[in-house]
Amino acid sequence: MMPYFKFDYFGVDFGLVIAFIIGIGFGFALERGGFGNARILAAQFYFYNMRVLKVMFTAIVTAMLGLFYFSWLGWLDLSLVYVGNTYILPQVLGGFILGMGFVIGGYCPGTSVVSASTGRIDGMVYLLGIFFGIFVFGEMFPLLEGFYLSTDMGKVTLPEFFGLSYGMIVFLVVVMALAAFAAAEWGEKVLAKKNGRGIE
Amino acid sequence: MVHGEKNLEPKPYSNPYVVGVGLGLVLLAAFLIMGRGLGASGAISTIVSVGVEKVAPVHATQNNFYKEYLGDGTTNPLKDWLIFEVIGVVVGGFLSGSLAHRIKRTTEKGPNVSVRTRLIYAFTGGIIMGFGAKLARGCTSGLALTGGALLSVGGWAFMFAVFGGGYAVAYFVRRQWL
Amino acid sequence: MIDWIMKLSISKKLAISAFVLGLLALFIGNPSNRNIIDVNTKEMALSTIKKQDRIDALILADWLIKENLDFTLVDLRTEKEFNEYTIPASVNIPIENILSSDLMRNQKILLFGNDDVTSAQAWFILKSSKYKSVLILKGGMEAWKNEILYPKLDTSATLEQKAAFEKTKQVSLHFGGTPQMISGGTATSISVQTTPTAPAPKLSATPSKAGGAKKKKEGC
Repeated sequence: MMPYFKFDYFGVDFGLVIAFIIGIGFGFALERGGFGNARILAAQFYFYNMRVLKVMFTAIVTAMLGLFYFSWLGWLDLSLVYVGNTYILPQVLGGFILGMGFVIGGYCPGTSVVSASTGRIDGMVYLLGIFFGIFVFGEMFPLLEGFYLSTDMGKVTLPEFFGLSYGMIVFLVVVMALAAFAAAEWGEKVLAKKNGRGIE
Repeated sequence: MVHGEKNLEPKPYSNPYVVGVGLGLVLLAAFLIMGRGLGASGAISTIVSVGVEKVAPVHATQNNFYKEYLGDGTTNPLKDWLIFEVIGVVVGGFLSGSLAHRIKRTTEKGPNVSVRTRLIYAFTGGIIMGFGAKLARGCTSGLALTGGALLSVGGWAFMFAVFGGGYAVAYFVRRQWL
Repeated sequence: MIDWIMKLSISKKLAISAFVLGLLALFIGNPSNRNIIDVNTKEMALSTIKKQDRIDALILADWLIKENLDFTLVDLRTEKEFNEYTIPASVNIPIENILSSDLMRNQKILLFGNDDVTSAQAWFILKSSKYKSVLILKGGMEAWKNEILYPKLDTSATLEQKAAFEKTKQVSLHFGGTPQMISGGTATSISVQTTPTAPAPKLSATPSKAGGAKKKKEGC
């Protein structure tokens, strides 16, 4: 039965080896996608290159379908996969702030690691900024703790939230992603024609 | 030499959908093997917490945020899943970059802005990102990607908020990129 | 048809696969019913709670004092009861949440409820969900209260019993309990205690190093 770690197939130490290997795959995929380059990431917010949306949604759809079918085949106990609690207000506000940081600085934490490892100086500086930002958050934590812990909705997922079946939500996410991809492809072409700018 | 000039040109980035499937499979592997998703900012938080504890131990233990990352003291907090994963990300990124000749000591920016300005923006953006990620309990990899695939309500709400925040300020920093 | 598919670009092939899998998911509905557990009934019948799976309150007290408890102590009672009083170092997981808790299958778990019934139920649930090492506190909270917090000694006890009680008394005082002497008797004598129902001791459940300590979170 999967997930293997939760069924005690191996211990914490071997888990760290797995972490390293999975990290390599993660870094490799991010770099292949062009996510070590701030200009490509930022382009998402000016609509002329929608790689962020395409890669992210494809990854979500792939992993989501994988989870669904592994669970359906009885190979995976989905209830053992860790899902964090939803704290709706801090998460929406945090996401909004994070999005602003994304377009101002050009990276998110994972991609800045890749950009730094491929020699980008802005990525390294950005990474330092994250360290400092987290330190600032930590120092301010006593003031923020009340808000941070507010609106706890528990481990709630979309099927539970909307009262729909898991398969229905999976289907809707796939359809939404495909529609977004079609719109992104169309938008890129239109903008490229208008600006005479290549799609990188 | 055997290598022609042309060989060392950086190769174009791969098809985003193929990359997305690859990334999704890595994420799926993490779910199936470990029962958890990917992350990045959590590793940095642990390092920051350990740093604060080294400088001011009492101060760190009085703060619930640092305490959460320092654990219960029975194990070394740096012996952490996310930290090893991020070390892997460094290696993986470098590997992919070298194979495609994309390792380059440079600063990514638009043509209308100086390197100095770009680096100031990068640092500022990093601070904002770090702050936002901790308020939301995760970053794009830990919350949007992982939570998105697990259909977590928080993950999806967060993802739309990220795009919202990005598009809201994109206009004001356009000089940096366009 | 096949020829047509082969000619499509890789992106389009991926899009079609995703759509087909998504559509199939729509008809499957729910991938699994997580509340159904496959129980090997024969195995379960053979592995009913054995004597060595039950821990005496005194032994647990001894582990706690020496701080060598290597079990996660789980209080299965309600949150209200947990907040009123609990055994030090325990974590509160009401029995209805036992499967959705953070307990790991490789963790050593020691369960207690008010009596043996709750913990036996939880023991069965955990064992059938393939948790490896699960023990229960013999007699649950009742036993803890009777044996540790308010141990009683009949005044007509023998010297040996009294000597043994001295040790129990020390243990009891360690956990903030009140050892009592009662004049034993049969029907006639009502206990001479001044407080018929001893008040719950004001004990703050200070988690020791052994259990209860917060695990590092798994998220980003």
